[in-house]
Amino acid sequence: MNVDEARESLAFSEYAKKRARDDMGRPWVALVLLGSLSVASLSLTNATSPTALFWVFAGPLGAGAIALYAYRRNRSGGIDSNPVAYVAIAVGLLILSYAAGKIGYAFQVPAVARAGPAIIVAAGYLVLAWVERSWLVAAVSLALIAVTVAIIGLDLSPQQSKALMYGLYGVAFLAVGFDLRVGRRQLL
Amino acid sequence: MTHPSSALDDTIHQRVRLGILAVLSESRRADFTYLREVLEVTAGNLSQHLAILEEAGHVQIAKGFEDRRSRTWVTVTRKGRAALASEVATMKALLEGLATTQRA
Repeated sequence: MNVDEARESLAFSEYAKKRARDDMGRPWVALVLLGSLSVASLSLTNATSPTALFWVFAGPLGAGAIALYAYRRNRSGGIDSNPVAYVAIAVGLLILSYAAGKIGYAFQVPAVARAGPAIIVAAGYLVLAWVERSWLVAAVSLALIAVTVAIIGLDLSPQQSKALMYGLYGVAFLAVGFDLRVGRRQLL
Repeated sequence: MTHPSSALDDTIHQRVRLGILAVLSESRRADFTYLREVLEVTAGNLSQHLAILEEAGHVQIAKGFEDRRSRTWVTVTRKGRAALASEVATMKALLEGLATTQRA
């Protein structure tokens, strides 16, 4: 094998990998859906329990919608993604963010109770960024973690913190989701 | 002392076969038509490459019917995944070694 052949083969395998990742669909559906749910939950931030109640129903419904989308896409697209990573991320997020809130309240650490779930959601998106090899999603997740910490530093009321964070996360992921969707259209 | 290129795997360093493993390593499985389109090869050509990879134990092929049409799904095996990683690493090492020699 000569040098040009090796270079060409490597470039071709990179192209094939990228094409497969693009065709399996980027995480735009997951981002748009979770972003919409976050924004929708804003209307409930004035009360304490309805937000949790909202997520108890909206979380699994959202995850189900993403799974259905992935299933239909796989059947028509000719290439299947491995659902294990996505399911693990979704379940892990739900359990960890719930636990973070509970632990924060139980040990009376308001910062953990308020910021814990949001930071765990952002960390979950970091894992998603790694799975999808998306620098954009990784950058947004890191920015959200930084802003969340800053919000806690401002010592806002629990309601204000919650509203700001859900709004911020929702709008950020909606924007990234739609941006990825536009990028995907241009590829096709 | 052996030349680094002797570490290359003859079965998979062919361009199309490397492409097949690259696509499959990113996914759970891919069907025959999809592979043919992405790799821009004829059906006969792809069949030959898949047969070589299957014989070497790098891929598994499953044929069946879905929505009343035949469909062939291809999956990469653990051996195939490892072989791809090793091949890519060897090629990168070869190219880096060459670049170092040229700079010296």
